Amino acid sequence: MNELCAEIGWKSINHFGEQLCGDHVEVIEKPDGRSVIVLADGLGSGVKASILSTLTSKIISTMIAEGLPIEECVETIADTLPVDKLRGVAYSTFTIINLKKDNMAELIQYDNPHIILIRNGDTVSYPETELNIGGKKIYNSVLQIRENDVFVSMSDGCPHAGIGSAFNFGWKHEDIAKYMEGLVSVGYTAKTLSTMLVDECNRLYGEKPGDDTSSCVVKIRRRVPMNILFGPPSNRDDCDRMMSLFFSKSGKHIICGGTTSSIAAKWLGKTVKTNLVFTSKDVPPTAEIEGVDLVTEGVITISKVIEYAEDHINENLLYEEWEYYNNGAAEISRMLFEEATDINFFVGRAVNPAHQNAELPLNFSMKMQLVQRLNESLKAMGKRIKISYF
Amino acid sequence: MKITICIGSSCHIKGSRMVVEKLQQMIADEKLENEIELCGSFCMGKCQQGVCVTIDKEFFSVSPDSVCRFFDTEVRSRLVK
Repeated sequence: MNELCAEIGWKSINHFGEQLCGDHVEVIEKPDGRSVIVLADGLGSGVKASILSTLTSKIISTMIAEGLPIEECVETIADTLPVDKLRGVAYSTFTIINLKKDNMAELIQYDNPHIILIRNGDTVSYPETELNIGGKKIYNSVLQIRENDVFVSMSDGCPHAGIGSAFNFGWKHEDIAKYMEGLVSVGYTAKTLSTMLVDECNRLYGEKPGDDTSSCVVKIRRRVPMNILFGPPSNRDDCDRMMSLFFSKSGKHIICGGTTSSIAAKWLGKTVKTNLVFTSKDVPPTAEIEGVDLVTEGVITISKVIEYAEDHINENLLYEEWEYYNNGAAEISRMLFEEATDINFFVGRAVNPAHQNAELPLNFSMKMQLVQRLNESLKAMGKRIKISYF
Repeated sequence: MKITICIGSSCHIKGSRMVVEKLQQMIADEKLENEIELCGSFCMGKCQQGVCVTIDKEFFSVSPDSVCRFFDTEVRSRLVK
């Protein structure tokens, strides 16, 4: 449980007027904990660039993950990529973050803006070796990763943002680093950090990006367990077993559901203190039980969490809502998306007779679907999930 | 007097937020804060009859439309003169 793990998130926006992005991020996570992250930027924009960067990132990530040397990867790409008729070259720049065993990381960079490494809130430099492979200048670094290290990789759309309007020469690399330093300390997810960088670039471009703009952020962190109880067991005789298993787990405890929270309170010999403050129109108030980190209503709150989760892994337009709102769904979102790396679900399969009413948009099969959808989104965020049904 | 309103899933969908807000407003308008304590509850086990409300231990089924009537008939009559 104490080993370090990587949280990976990225966001891209397209060159203004293009349907496809010419940047591509590819992530391979191995079951043994190693991961390879590749950000590739294809020559030009649109469909051609998209093909170049997709091929490049897929080939490199697969080969590096299989332990092949960088020379062979570059050779393969040079032999594979279609040659641009206009320019007579086959070209895609790339950044590789190869997280190996024993907390070692290898950075391999070819012609993209260099990775910004933020350690303890400050940008730090790292040693680089220059390699010449097939006439390409490639920078290689090997370093030991530490908890809270944040690697910010990007395509050149980022430093080019604002050229000629906000800045004469674009957004300088060191200024991007300063901007990111300020955000890293807040504790945003990797996905949100990359979103904030790309959104800021988009703003500098006046919402009309002159280039495909991408960022991929890798956050090194310790594993954090989280436990969530949702619904009473189908057989009431299982309450004690469910509660003792739930409360015996290390990490924070979240309880969702009215009946569920009264069962938990009874088991703990405490009372449920409900709040009457409606901070949001569509999410019911939370409650408190001594010894439980968060108590919320069930299906409505979880539905909102799923809305946030599904947005977070895609466009990430709603992060400000769950990041700053003070309601049950936002609190669960922060705990699950930001804090947790390993989530244990304790799902009760009891049917609430009051919910089996055609007039209400609640029913049992919906509840089980909610668990599935939340599980899938959280997995896409890179969380390890375990679900136990009762 | 203690009025408890259920804010569980079913009652939430049936409008418990409106019931709570209307009661809060009526209590404030008539300056009854010292006489009436409002609190919430998660699920009283009578979801079909929601929005579930109790005055002390007595159960009532209230809706956002009937909350004013409920206040006039049930709450007022129980207030200590």
